Amino acid sequence: MNYLTRQEVATWLDKLAQEQTLIAPIDVAGNILYRPVQDTRNVQWDFIRSFMSVKEVFFPPTERLMLIEKLGLEVKITETLPEEKSIIFGVRPCDARGLLTMDSLFIDTEPVDPYYARRRENTTIIGLACQSLGPSCFCTSVGGAPDDPTGMDIMLTASGGGYAAEIITEKGAQISQRFQVFDGLSEIRPHPSSARKQELKIPPKEVWPAKFNDDYWAELAERCLSCRICAYLCPSCRCFDVRDEVLPGDNGQNESERVRCWDSCNGIPYRRVAGGHNPRFMKNQRLRNRFFCKFYYFPLHYGPVSCTGCGRCIDACPVNVDITEVLEYVGRRQP
Amino acid sequence: MTDKTDTNPMLPYLGKLVEVKDIATEIKLFRVEMQNGGGEAFHHYKPGQFAFVSALGVGEAPFGIANIPKNGDNMLDFAINRLGSVTTELHGLGVGDMVGVRGPMGNGFPMEKFTGKNLVIIGGGIGGAPLRPVIQSVMANRGDYGHFQILWAARNPSLLVFTDEYDEWRSTPDTELHLTVDQADSTWNHGVGLITQLLERVAPSPENTITITCGPPIMIHFVNRVLVDKLGFMPEQNYVTLEARMHCGIGKCGRCNLGTKLICVDGPVFSMAEVGALLESFL
Amino acid sequence: MPFEPKIIAYLCTWCSYTGADTAGIARLKSPANIRDIRVPCSGRVSPEIIMRTLDQGADGVLVLGCHIGECHYDTGNHRAAKRLPVLKALLAYAGLDAERVRLDWVSASEGERYSRIVNEFTETIRALGPIQWKVGDRNKHFVWEKEPISHRYTAFSDEQPKHAVYLTPVHEQQTQALREKARELLESKQVDNVIGYEVGPRGRTRPAFIHNVEDVERLAWNQDCTHNLAAYLSKKLGWGTDGGKKKQPDRLPKAAVVVKPCDSRSINVLLAENRFLREQVYIIGMACDGIRQGAGFNDERIGAIQTRCAACNVRTPVVYDTLIGDTEKTYREIPPEHIYPGIERLEALTPAERMNFWLSQFDRCIRCYACRQVCPMCDCPICLYERDDSLWVGMGIDVDEKRAYHLGRAYHLAGRCVGCNECERVCPMDIPLSLIHRKMAQEMEKLFDFRAGMAAVPPPFVTILSGEENLP
Repeated sequence: MNYLTRQEVATWLDKLAQEQTLIAPIDVAGNILYRPVQDTRNVQWDFIRSFMSVKEVFFPPTERLMLIEKLGLEVKITETLPEEKSIIFGVRPCDARGLLTMDSLFIDTEPVDPYYARRRENTTIIGLACQSLGPSCFCTSVGGAPDDPTGMDIMLTASGGGYAAEIITEKGAQISQRFQVFDGLSEIRPHPSSARKQELKIPPKEVWPAKFNDDYWAELAERCLSCRICAYLCPSCRCFDVRDEVLPGDNGQNESERVRCWDSCNGIPYRRVAGGHNPRFMKNQRLRNRFFCKFYYFPLHYGPVSCTGCGRCIDACPVNVDITEVLEYVGRRQP
Repeated sequence: MTDKTDTNPMLPYLGKLVEVKDIATEIKLFRVEMQNGGGEAFHHYKPGQFAFVSALGVGEAPFGIANIPKNGDNMLDFAINRLGSVTTELHGLGVGDMVGVRGPMGNGFPMEKFTGKNLVIIGGGIGGAPLRPVIQSVMANRGDYGHFQILWAARNPSLLVFTDEYDEWRSTPDTELHLTVDQADSTWNHGVGLITQLLERVAPSPENTITITCGPPIMIHFVNRVLVDKLGFMPEQNYVTLEARMHCGIGKCGRCNLGTKLICVDGPVFSMAEVGALLESFL
Repeated sequence: MPFEPKIIAYLCTWCSYTGADTAGIARLKSPANIRDIRVPCSGRVSPEIIMRTLDQGADGVLVLGCHIGECHYDTGNHRAAKRLPVLKALLAYAGLDAERVRLDWVSASEGERYSRIVNEFTETIRALGPIQWKVGDRNKHFVWEKEPISHRYTAFSDEQPKHAVYLTPVHEQQTQALREKARELLESKQVDNVIGYEVGPRGRTRPAFIHNVEDVERLAWNQDCTHNLAAYLSKKLGWGTDGGKKKQPDRLPKAAVVVKPCDSRSINVLLAENRFLREQVYIIGMACDGIRQGAGFNDERIGAIQTRCAACNVRTPVVYDTLIGDTEKTYREIPPEHIYPGIERLEALTPAERMNFWLSQFDRCIRCYACRQVCPMCDCPICLYERDDSLWVGMGIDVDEKRAYHLGRAYHLAGRCVGCNECERVCPMDIPLSLIHRKMAQEMEKLFDFRAGMAAVPPPFVTILSGEENLP
């Protein structure tokens, strides 16, 4: 375990930023977002939670999958895999947990998604432990913790005015060895976080099927707007849409790109087919699917519950559809 | 699929159109010759599996593969109904044009479970496309199966698919072909009525029989009701192939789930017992 | 190589296209920069077409139709006459030179007029230079580094006490009266349900749907009742907007809805557009003293009043069946310079600066469509900007697409948006949408003397120019 002052961490990051892309949390018009930075001047250190999760670095909102070129009757398809190496600083444990959840689908289940897998391979994650839980946080209920180093390559925990740094993986070791900032073991250990709240019980997947036909879902969905805020902000939601779009071109070239971009089961057209049939047309069906997917279908297929307890959906929902209320309802014993 | 760690499952193989034929109103049969070694991936697909066909520059969509593999000829048939942007673009293509093909995907029909049994195929409209490889498979291995009944339906005669193959089907040993349309025209001299009415008339026996249905969701629902409530079939004997909007076909985009099952990976073929046990309805 | 403008001209088949032919026959010179597209009528040229044309790289767009009074379809060109000035104002506000879009009238015999107009327009565009509009780069981010232009009203010191708590005695009284009314309506079965507000377990006010008399105690009225509940009416009361599954029911569904003055205006717009019948909705109007900033969320910005409330001069609901509360007591005077300075400040910038401002705002957009979903007026069964064939805008969450969506939506709401600003409140990225929609409302008032929702009448774009109306 190493101990560093904030300035030492900043200096090390500045030097790394000259060699690789550094992505860090900065304030963009009042919202904390992860963006590429040239140096640590504007980096945020003491925020509770970024507005968008770190998912957008590994699974971007819009991503080109391949380039399609037509020259007469000939066609050339070129896959466009991400190549860039980067370091992302300031990742909270809930977001890292979200990445592990997405790993269970994109990497640990065949076939491997090469776009996501490459980005995971090419990115080193420097975690930053939370010093307190926010009012809507419930990471401890899903098996996480504000100082959980799982999923990080290096973990920084605030301690005595600076940071205790734990080098966890080989990838972390590679960047920590640059610039001789870390100098071996020291005596400082991070304080275990005292900011734990009363745990909300996450109902195990077995109890969910019996609740499928309850009236509760229709009542809950009455106020739902069917926007996509919850899914887009969520660190572990990963539904996407794929389409070809023509690129502007001169000289008679015919170029298009196949892109994938974020989608959400909340949206009305999610399951609509060309003929118009839409098996999940009603709002209550869609909202119910979202919760069932997170706590029943996903763990059934892939293992982990698809929720990291970050609380973003709770804060951002315009009509206060609250995932903790839903979990309390489902977990309630029948009278 | 070939070596998974090296291939990109979202990248299509190229296929050249060697035949484009009108087979019904707004329905064309496309014969695609796989290029650049793409044919290897399709040497051993099962009836009922599907592939994503790309209208390059517009998008891709899943279609049932409408034929069975023939040794090394690298040819795939797709019967495609023109409805949206991808299918409209495909309908505009001609012989020599290139499309993208990704697959084979899905679980396919468990033909090995059907050996020795009587088979009843029930197809409605374009739903006949994924059933054709089953028919071809039975014809190619006639001795493996018992009595064979095909019930084929459409809203009107111009929407019946594979009409030029009916004689071949009829002439297969121990095989019946029954046709019906909801609304006849002056050229029609076969049965008129809904597929459910035809089914009750033909009344296949449930003894040692498997049924396979494909068509619009509402048709699948009512056909199953007739089979179970009126003809004495158990849901385990009735197989269906379902469809859904899909964008990856490999279980990643999360879209095509019906309750706990993903139609692209756990299906599209299910027995009605499995479908009945699902929480969600496909209707 | 010197810049040669690419100009797309939409010519109506009856007059201006023939006029172009006449010019050709008379051997009058027309520049090669003009690419004609023949349309049945200038009224056919909807704003999406023009915006898409500019998005795709045209340096200028020319729309030529028949003279007013000579339209082959009687009033098609009235539509063009009304729409294009508003579209131009919107595009100018977004940072485009308004002269890049021009509407004019050319009759079939006016070959000379056609030739003069196209030559003039080509020179205008040549002088303006190539269009700088499309970004085309997914990885480019825009940041506004100049002085912030806010949509947020900063409270006076004497405002603070009134809005520091969310429940005043006046609100308590109104809540009681509201519950009584709801009880009466549900017991007498006058309505199927009451759409109102409740306070959730986390202390956040949210929409509530009361179906049973036992639940009326859930209803609440306080200074956090920000939601525009008219957004739920079309789905609850209408038929045919749900994919056609429901046929016209035997008994019309009926609901009661709790509305603030701004929300009641939304109901007028919906009635004018035949979303449901007046007898289906029992409108419980609330006298409103303003809603707090941060309402609806766990937000620390409490105490100040919302900007739309500070700017509000409609204190009594414009349509209601019953009124709860005393509107006289709710009057509050705010000096105008403290309200909506954002629009004037944007208008004072150069077009390039304005364009950069809006790009920096839309850059943050994640295309969650919350703005559209919360709006009572936005309920097309398939949104133009969410089509599976990407007809008007691509699928990607890229800044060109996002801008096209927001500007297109702003145009579609012109004359319909009542300024409830819910779109802005729900935006997770704090995009100042009110600065666009309010600007469009100002234009509609300036050009047509029209304020949306004050009465249940169709908006200007749907009506034709009357004899007394002048061309804007």
